[in-house]
Amino acid sequence: MNAASVASETEPLAERVRLEIERTIARSIKGVEYIASPAPAVGSSPKELVYKDGTLNLFHYHPQSDEIYRVPILVVMATTNKGYVLDLAPGQSLVEFLLRRGFDVYMMDWSPPRPDEKRLRFEDYTHRFIPSCVELVRNRSGERDVTVLGYCMGGVLSSIYAASHPDGITNLVCFTTPIDFSQMTLFQKWADRRYFDVDRLVDTAGNVPADLIFRGFEMLRPASRGMGQVQLWDNLWNDDFVRSFRMFERWGNDTLPLAGEYFRDTTKMLMWENALHRGTLELAGERIDLSRITVPALHVTAEHDHIVPAEASKPLIESIGSHDKENVVLKGGHVSVAAGPSASRRLWPKLDAWLAERSF
Amino acid sequence: MADKAAPDPLAPWRELLSQWEKSANSLANRGMGTDGFSGSMNQAMNVLLTGQQSLGEAMVKYLAALNLPSRADLLTLGEQLGAIETQLASIARILERQNAPAAPPLELPPRTKRPPRAPQ
Repeated sequence: MNAASVASETEPLAERVRLEIERTIARSIKGVEYIASPAPAVGSSPKELVYKDGTLNLFHYHPQSDEIYRVPILVVMATTNKGYVLDLAPGQSLVEFLLRRGFDVYMMDWSPPRPDEKRLRFEDYTHRFIPSCVELVRNRSGERDVTVLGYCMGGVLSSIYAASHPDGITNLVCFTTPIDFSQMTLFQKWADRRYFDVDRLVDTAGNVPADLIFRGFEMLRPASRGMGQVQLWDNLWNDDFVRSFRMFERWGNDTLPLAGEYFRDTTKMLMWENALHRGTLELAGERIDLSRITVPALHVTAEHDHIVPAEASKPLIESIGSHDKENVVLKGGHVSVAAGPSASRRLWPKLDAWLAERSF
Repeated sequence: MADKAAPDPLAPWRELLSQWEKSANSLANRGMGTDGFSGSMNQAMNVLLTGQQSLGEAMVKYLAALNLPSRADLLTLGEQLGAIETQLASIARILERQNAPAAPPLELPPRTKRPPRAPQ
């Protein structure tokens, strides 16, 4: 072995060592920056609050293209979380992507319910809030047709709305939406009616505290929070990783309390009776039958969803009566399927193509 | 291109941590998916709620004895204030519409966009 070949073999190793030393130094410097700097801004796409009814906020995002599709989109956010997960930051925002692709986007986002809003029932969401917003979107846009897009529990509410108002919408899109609640095994176990006294919780607490909801989600993957901190340390040198981590961490910590009666209804009707899947759910005096949904429907589920497993979400497309319906399983988790870098490569182009064909 | 040429010395550590996370989550889920865990967790919550309820009731009596409003009284007051605020806001909106020129609505682009492959 001559001197030249020894040098060529040791060069990559030396380069690697140099890289690791640089990263270690960067970790120390950035670690101080991390502690000293405020959390990054989120939800920055320009928007206007066009309607507010207690816990409900209806936002209209300002269009970002010269011409827009005829049919506006109404996003129904999950009641447990803030809607800015779909509008994290420029370049990492589903909302911004849709605006730039020529869609007119509205979002039903939620504030923490006030103490007096503990009386809000499940049907207030499906038969009052969503219909009011659909009507407002129609009036504002001058269009009869509206696409409703629901995320997680927002998908449950949207599906129920679509089933009970067959003429109410033009397209239905759902992300990671549970229908068969018997398949949400850990939540089922924790909400076992033999042990879980939901009446006592709601009667005592009024609205269900955000901390209880947050811990419930966190307990599904108890080791992951600690591991997240390790990953953060490992990637402290990487500004993009740190920025993204902080935005998602902030969003996770921003879990919302739930209106007491809404939580009681959800527990009894969906978790205990599994009434939506069994076709026995009754709201506002009518039975909810998902087969009455006949509009084009798209359901996007995540391959590694630890909150809503495939067995729980799969029945949505099977149950609805539309001819034009599609279930798409994408790589990712419950959140990363809709927000973040992998969503921008997988879900967003698919959604754009699906919506474009049905929005003019 | 050193990243490709030289092995990452921390890669085994990362892999180990990833495996540990999966195993720990799986193990914890098995433990938390039992009747025993659910019973204990809900029992603990019931104890907490009972304590909260008893404390709340005692505080109501104590505050009443001191002739002070309880939390429920303040919440009722808050509800009434909220209702008054809502009514005031709607009156203000009506007055604004009557007295001031309407703010220009958001300029929306034409709704003429079509998908790339759609027939014109």
